[in-house]
Amino acid sequence: MSAAELTPPQAALWAARAGLPVPAGRHAAVAATANHIHSVVAVLRELDFADTPPAAAYRAGEENDDAAV
Amino acid sequence: MQPYELSLARAADAIRARTLSPVELVDSVLDRIEQAEPHLGAYVTVTAEQARRAARAAEQDVAAGRLRGPLHGVPLALKDLIDVAGAATTASSRVRADHRAQADSTVAARLAAAGAVLVGKTHTHEFAYGLTTPQTHNAWDRDRVAGGSSGGSAVAVAAGTATFALGTDTGGSIRVPSALNGVVGLKPTYGLVPRHGVTSLSWSLDHVGPITRTVEDAALALTALAGHDPRDPASLAACGPDHRPVGATDLTGLRIGVPRNYYFDHVAPEVEAAVRRALAGLESLGAQLVEVEIPMTRYIQATQWGLMVPEATAYHERTLRTVPELYQADVRILLEAGELMPAGDYLRAQRARTLMRQAWGRLLEEADVIAAPTVPATAVKAGDETITWPDGTTESVSDAYVRLSAPANITGVPALSVPVGHDTAGLPIGMQLLGRPLGEPVLLRVGHAYEQTQPARRTATV
Repeated sequence: MSAAELTPPQAALWAARAGLPVPAGRHAAVAATANHIHSVVAVLRELDFADTPPAAAYRAGEENDDAAV
Repeated sequence: MQPYELSLARAADAIRARTLSPVELVDSVLDRIEQAEPHLGAYVTVTAEQARRAARAAEQDVAAGRLRGPLHGVPLALKDLIDVAGAATTASSRVRADHRAQADSTVAARLAAAGAVLVGKTHTHEFAYGLTTPQTHNAWDRDRVAGGSSGGSAVAVAAGTATFALGTDTGGSIRVPSALNGVVGLKPTYGLVPRHGVTSLSWSLDHVGPITRTVEDAALALTALAGHDPRDPASLAACGPDHRPVGATDLTGLRIGVPRNYYFDHVAPEVEAAVRRALAGLESLGAQLVEVEIPMTRYIQATQWGLMVPEATAYHERTLRTVPELYQADVRILLEAGELMPAGDYLRAQRARTLMRQAWGRLLEEADVIAAPTVPATAVKAGDETITWPDGTTESVSDAYVRLSAPANITGVPALSVPVGHDTAGLPIGMQLLGRPLGEPVLLRVGHAYEQTQPARRTATV
């Protein structure tokens, strides 16, 4: 296990900080799944994003509930 | 040929020509449901009585010379993530047991306005968070997975229990089950088809689109579906043209990009062979095949997960705290683990998406269309969790099924899955065509041209 991996108690603590109480019997499974997701997503740290903005964006002033179907 | 076997285009033409009545067609589809559905499990709900009522009204309209629209009287199934006023949108989940939609989704309203007749709501992998749809059986082999998450819709169209259907696609969920069941699936350009009233899996990756028996049918459905709706914040201002492709098969001057990396890696030999045969067919129609390099492939899965995992968890925040025990085990654990992803990972995924969109923009200057397999393997046996490749590596079924679909979700480019034959076990194989944003007319033209050179596909025998 690498130093970056969460132990089951750490996973429970992180979930609690996010406002999600996780039953004790699920700590190990949540930690294992979270660690697997982390191992997949962590490769993005290799990228040099420079000034690249995130893709999420919105256009101000275009909210309109008067929709036509 | 029975009415339930007709394509959308032929059924609509026959109704317009008064050689087929909407009542005959809807009754034929409902009879087919009665016969086949016990073996398929494609539907959450069949709305037979409402469908018969709507069919009678459609018949009276025809008699009076009134056609509601181009889909007048044609039976439709909706994935059960799509709101229909007064009906439950169950998302195939116990979490939604008491749900009741207050209003039609934009897509349900548009199809009703075009004259389509709803015959039922189809199964999804719970909340679209999975690639198999375990409640539903593959239309060609009931011991195999339907694929997902729009498994019910694809199986219904393949088996003739719906003339066409809608699915949703966040990482391949229209294209994967379409390929695995031998039907056509179109994931439109991000924002072309409004998602208002459709249960989200991941807002920045979700799409709604048609599942049909032919490419022409997909074009007809898309024409009814596309167009701006300000209630979907991603909805594009552009209103699509009439997408129905013309009959010509000449593809002279069209450049088809054939990936030299990624899309043919870890692909079953029979799938690769079928796709390359189809490519040779397109070349014989005048298209020029050009080799292309797919950019940033090392970051595709990371970007897909970095976007989808936290967005899905956010959508389910409330119910994951109040009724977690009502979720299926596979979905619950992903939602819980998603709580543990730092915002920095999500932002990196959003920035990686920006880079990937730019790189795909450059790629699509080298070719008009990219052609590739839709999924790297045909339908696996129900219960199988991994695929072992010839080099000894193993991959989870869901990872394998998403792998070739995810780039179009991340970048928003349109992608069309077209059946290109069967493997030796008789299981369907799909080819994926990817184009420039709003390049649906080109994809539909290529797919339609290919279909013109092939024998008409039959519905699955059940």
